[in-house]
Amino acid sequence: MNVILLRFGELYLKGHNRNYFESTLIKNIKSMLEGEEYKLESTFGRYVISNYSQDKQNKIVEKLKKVFGLYSLSPAIEVNAEVDTIKNEVAKIECKGKTFKVFVKRADKSFPISSMDFAKDLGELILNNNKNSSVDLYKPQCEIHVDIRMNHKAYIFDNIIKCQGGLPLGCSGKGLLLLSGGIDSPVAGYLMAKRGLELEALHFHSYPYTSEQAKDKVIKLANLLTDYVGDIKLHIISFTRVQEEIHKRCKPEFMITIMRRIMMRVAECICEKYNLGAIVTGESLGQVASQTMQSMTVTGNVIKEKPIFRPCIAMDKEEIIEISRSINTYDTSILPYEDCCTVFLPKNPIIKPTIKQAENEEQYIDVDALVEECLEKEEIINIMRE
Amino acid sequence: MIYLDNAATTKMFEGGADIYKKYACQSFFNPSAGYNKSFEIAKELDGVRELIKKNLGATKGNVIFTSGATESNNLAIMGSKRNGKWEYVFSLGEHPSVYNVASALENQGYTVHFVGLLENGQIDYEELERVVNNRTRLISVMHVSNETGAINDLVKIDKIRREYCPQALLHIDGVQAFCKLPFNIEDFNADLYTISAHKFHGPKGVGALYVKNPSGLKNIIYGGGQEGGYRSGTENVPGIMAMKYAIENIDIIKNFQYVKELKDYFIKSIDNTEGVKYLKTESPYILSLSFYGVNGETLMRSLQDRNIYVGVGSACSTKKAGNRVLESMGMNIDEIKSHIRVSFSEELSLDDIKNACHEILDTYHKLLEKVK
Repeated sequence: MNVILLRFGELYLKGHNRNYFESTLIKNIKSMLEGEEYKLESTFGRYVISNYSQDKQNKIVEKLKKVFGLYSLSPAIEVNAEVDTIKNEVAKIECKGKTFKVFVKRADKSFPISSMDFAKDLGELILNNNKNSSVDLYKPQCEIHVDIRMNHKAYIFDNIIKCQGGLPLGCSGKGLLLLSGGIDSPVAGYLMAKRGLELEALHFHSYPYTSEQAKDKVIKLANLLTDYVGDIKLHIISFTRVQEEIHKRCKPEFMITIMRRIMMRVAECICEKYNLGAIVTGESLGQVASQTMQSMTVTGNVIKEKPIFRPCIAMDKEEIIEISRSINTYDTSILPYEDCCTVFLPKNPIIKPTIKQAENEEQYIDVDALVEECLEKEEIINIMRE
Repeated sequence: MIYLDNAATTKMFEGGADIYKKYACQSFFNPSAGYNKSFEIAKELDGVRELIKKNLGATKGNVIFTSGATESNNLAIMGSKRNGKWEYVFSLGEHPSVYNVASALENQGYTVHFVGLLENGQIDYEELERVVNNRTRLISVMHVSNETGAINDLVKIDKIRREYCPQALLHIDGVQAFCKLPFNIEDFNADLYTISAHKFHGPKGVGALYVKNPSGLKNIIYGGGQEGGYRSGTENVPGIMAMKYAIENIDIIKNFQYVKELKDYFIKSIDNTEGVKYLKTESPYILSLSFYGVNGETLMRSLQDRNIYVGVGSACSTKKAGNRVLESMGMNIDEIKSHIRVSFSEELSLDDIKNACHEILDTYHKLLEKVK
């Protein structure tokens, strides 16, 4: 029978919480495979997916590769753990002239032959059937695994596909991702989701200074993210008035500093309102003026009770781009629409602001009223995983 | 709604839409099918070819139907290229459907010259004179600039050609000129001329390429051999017939005069407003403006909230504003960022223009107040 073996990584480490992590993982696997027909069984530290139609196997594998908490998977043949049955199945293997090695693992110690001896037997069998192949114990081109489990089943497979790793989505709580439309913020969302954080997203737009297309692009990005993070509630806040006010009343070089402080305040209010436990941003140290240590001190300073997670903080742009490509958000991120951070962009933004300076600038605007106004005009779009 | 983006596209004539439906649902036959009904359609298409030639003022040559100007331009340029040490000449003011074909030629290893523009938006004739020679295979220049409304002096260009490179073909992208300006193609001896139906109240997805001497052209797509083999693919009969309707129902000279009044009125209304600058160009259909201090796209979006639609040309919308055409005319970055394009149609009334100008200036001043 064709099956898919699933392995999970860090869950082993979680001691008393293991049940919670596992049940979350199973829930996520089921949610990812919604609409597919299959059977999911848990056997001694592995999950086995079976009873699916063979032509759906690739599709199911692709979907499972996006489930956080899974470490690796292998499409395999499941047979009864009997010596002859296993040999019959292994006899069918074609190595096409490649070097190979057989790995036998015996969790079921009642199996009559030792792992080493059985591997040798099977190796011989394969050699006899594949005259132009040879054994290479050090760098084999083909790895043939025979896994004999406690459920008296054996699993034969030749491919271990790496999955996302991380922790099951949701087991770390729920956070708010500041989603700008650029390359970094979707990557930040993905990385935090990988650590088990469910996400809602927050976007600021500045019509007419930014376009409907720019907003649509953010909706598209959120849509792409749902592949990994499931349904996303996207909060859209009109930021036009805030920017006009800052532009009018504060020093130009503080435009972005003050703007981001207000964004953070709005974000924390939304966290309060929707019971979200953290703020996630795509900031990377030193990438732009607003992402220096001093700037982040000043923008983070307005947050009273939530942690700010910045998973891209230590990454080079190239590294961020690489992840962005791998999660398929890059091509959308680089569409050329302005985001609200490019509006009223001063020629020389301050690189090392201080909290005192920022507070001083904020005297000239009614921060509380502006935050209030932002929240009043909140638009919510529920983006479902397709 | 006041629609001032007629250089982007025009509203299709209602009568043309009726004709379209007739040829889509009743006389829907494939012109190549061979029976009488299809032959009748083929003859009607030939009638449209003659009509287009008549409108161009062409006494010889042929008309090839295409899917629009982009295809016509590709066919004209790529279909004219020849192996050997030939050279190809374009202006920097060309539409992307010419400019990017030229760049593709360059990437394929052909020698390509891009001639700069004068401050008035026309091609730099002296530079053109310098780059053409006895190896020039093709000169491709637009009739009217879609960005600025500048009209190139095609007679002058033809004169340069005859003097320095009589062997060269002359291709004119006439998208913003055909059915808009009175002209006679034989005055400037164009070998190839591109037209697009949706710019003159015809349907989208239809265009044509006039070819004076078809034997000099090579097809660029392969298939069933329609259009004399120059453009395979079943002809878009409903579209072509609706284009015919548009051509027949446009009074070029009357419209030209009327639209000129609209443009003049527009200019009069905004002239002497601080911060507003416009380009003096000859086509009455297009007016290029700068509103200092505001971003053209922001202005465009603010105007759409007042139900007024203007164009922003092909201004790049990222942080680095860029516009090849305006840049090559020597415009500075502030002018380009604050640039919009207003383009007219005879369907607009003087009142529309009056209201539009009032709204545009009001929007401009309100925006300026916020961003200055």
